[in-house]
Amino acid sequence: MVHPLRDKAAVSGIGETAYTRGTTKSGLALQLEASLRALDDAGIDPRDVDGVIPYFPGGAIAEDFIANLGLKDLTLSAFIPMGGATCVAAIQMAAMAVTTGVCKHVLISVGRTGYSGSRVSTRLQQFPVFAQAAEFEAPIGMFAPAQLYAQGARRHMELYGTTARQFAEVAVVTRQHAILNGNVVMNKPLTVEDHHASRMISDPFRLFDCSLESDGGAAVIISATERAKDLRKPLVTIAGTAEGHPDSPASIAQRPDLLEFGLVKSAPRAFAMAGVGPKDIDVAEIYDCFTFTVIRQLEILGFCKTGEGGPFVMDGRIALGGELPINTHGGLLSQGHVVGLNHVIELTRQLRGEAGKAQVKDAETGLVTGYGDMGDGSIAILRRAA
Amino acid sequence: MSQASAAAAPPAPERPLPTPTRESQPYWDGLREGRFLLQFCSSCGKVRHYPRPVCPHCFSMESEFREAPLGGGLHSWTVCHHPFNFFFKASAPYIVALVDMDAGVRVNAQLHGIPEAELKIGRRVKLGFEPVNEEVTLPVFVAE
Repeated sequence: MVHPLRDKAAVSGIGETAYTRGTTKSGLALQLEASLRALDDAGIDPRDVDGVIPYFPGGAIAEDFIANLGLKDLTLSAFIPMGGATCVAAIQMAAMAVTTGVCKHVLISVGRTGYSGSRVSTRLQQFPVFAQAAEFEAPIGMFAPAQLYAQGARRHMELYGTTARQFAEVAVVTRQHAILNGNVVMNKPLTVEDHHASRMISDPFRLFDCSLESDGGAAVIISATERAKDLRKPLVTIAGTAEGHPDSPASIAQRPDLLEFGLVKSAPRAFAMAGVGPKDIDVAEIYDCFTFTVIRQLEILGFCKTGEGGPFVMDGRIALGGELPINTHGGLLSQGHVVGLNHVIELTRQLRGEAGKAQVKDAETGLVTGYGDMGDGSIAILRRAA
Repeated sequence: MSQASAAAAPPAPERPLPTPTRESQPYWDGLREGRFLLQFCSSCGKVRHYPRPVCPHCFSMESEFREAPLGGGLHSWTVCHHPFNFFFKASAPYIVALVDMDAGVRVNAQLHGIPEAELKIGRRVKLGFEPVNEEVTLPVFVAE
């Protein structure tokens, strides 16, 4: 039986601000700026938005959109507290809302002053799921994601022989892609030597294994496919989407397998909903809070077997022109950190044929993942309408 | 701005300390007394960590804290170089070891006295006790 959500909702509008280090704008202003661009991209009157899912914690609540954009009748207001998995999980919620008729157009937005405002170790105190780490791990000097996720990366290296050279490949290729995109924080070439020479943050993660602390805003509009057909831009539908939560969700330390996170559960559901498999994917935007996180997600997604993610990323396979181009915009590692909503925007551009110098030829089907909050994993498979 | 205020020394950073919950208080009380206490289900007998109200195996809400063996084997580790909290700047780099305790749970704690080059999965270590003030004692791993 075809899943009732398959292709019934679409990404109808996308918008983003400049990605910078330094801004005088608030998180709310960044979200509104990106939202207005997304609405203009779709050709939707701001007042007709009736669902809002702002990133939490991010300085905005749905009511701010009524006050600033004049929404006439808001019928859905929600937060999805899943850290880096939030934005893609919001696609699932929005798709449900627009296919059931609860909403016409749902706005998903992120505004982040990650460079000019509070930094990661301060922001984490606001995440409910970090309470357990605050009690048991912060006192021993372990709280930031670079520290908490490092033990999983180290275990993968010990068990499967994954190397820093392979981590570097992810960073270098992502930077090459960023340079093709005009709107990025990091626009100078990066070499393997640069990666290896960068300072150690939390072994095995060096500076260039870590995503950026940056400022910026992004927004995406989800509408029912029937409505999106008549809007401004080429139709890109949501073929499959799912969220997943790992066992021992608030404590990585107690997780039966450190390397099994939410995507293990959500990826098979999304592929089944879409009726496609890894071989059908032309381009993938993989949540890249760390280089290793990309390697492990490629395994979980079924592009290679567990333990083979390191060799998989080598030899140009993940670069433009390779077998599976990933993070064609520069990702969180080089473009900017807006919690992965920039990945959704880039995938939409690729499928519309709007990706400029980074365009993957004939891209028809692609996927995007979200990862965060200790290992929640969300996924959306999008495709260009035939 | 006056010269004097610009020269004022910033306050010394404070160590982040645990805020025990009603569920976890016995665990922290045990550490303070130099005992490694874990939560066992009173109904099915299974151990669980970190402490929580319900046994995820049999859903019993009755539990008891009992002393558990101190030995274990390395599951993984990280070497923290960047002090995300300034308190740890003076001691960085330091090793945080994740250990499969013989008692059947994992514990994360700093590892002292074993060099990074000697770390490998399965290496035996032992849990020790490091008082940080009158109220709080933290676990620490040392060579077995």
